[in-house]
Amino acid sequence: MIRDSQDVIVKTLARLLMPFIIVYALYVVMHGHHSPGGGFQGGVILAAGFVLLAVSHGLEQTRKRMSEKAARVISSIGVFIYAGIGALCLILGGNYLDYGKLSKLLQVMPAEARSLGILGVEIGVALAVMAVMFTIFFVIFTAGESLEDDGRGK
Amino acid sequence: MIDFFLILGVGMCVLVLFCLYRVVYGPGVLNRAAGISAIGTKTLIILLIMGVIYDRVDMFIDISMVYGLLNFIGTVVLAKHIERTGEA
Repeated sequence: MIRDSQDVIVKTLARLLMPFIIVYALYVVMHGHHSPGGGFQGGVILAAGFVLLAVSHGLEQTRKRMSEKAARVISSIGVFIYAGIGALCLILGGNYLDYGKLSKLLQVMPAEARSLGILGVEIGVALAVMAVMFTIFFVIFTAGESLEDDGRGK
Repeated sequence: MIDFFLILGVGMCVLVLFCLYRVVYGPGVLNRAAGISAIGTKTLIILLIMGVIYDRVDMFIDISMVYGLLNFIGTVVLAKHIERTGEA
């Protein structure tokens, strides 16, 4: 269990770095289709920001910003966005994750619809990866205590 | 120009071996942590040199930024762990 401490250097550095980490993670997610990166990598960078916050400011402060329950909900929302876009293409008469079919719904060219579709899928992947990475870190660092807190079994 | 960066990269790889010696045999955890951090910094530079050699610096700079960030966070987490368990 990490508690709040008086480390001025680490705390100040974490506070200064946090916005840059989040902006960089969003850049990696958004430019996933024409530079290295994508949903998974962006999600990992977002989770790394939360890990830095937990290490520098203690677990209690982190819990205020993102609880385990919120992480669970966000990971489900991420999977829902991914599967929902895939199923939407299925409903519109294509294959699963056939983004070209979204052009009717979005009122754009099929090529543009493909770009937007993959962006939506990447946002979903980033949310799910961020929440799951954060949950794994939390469970390991509290040695399973965080699972017992809300009475969800051991 | 490429030859210059190639020699620079090979030199960096040789320097990594010295840090690796400290990581493997170094007395105590703190020497090992410092060695790992130094290897991470050198890997970042090697990635940028590779970017110059392949003429794709714009791509490799993204990777090296993530590498530096994760290296920093890893070192902070390791330091916190050492502080908590008291093994120095």
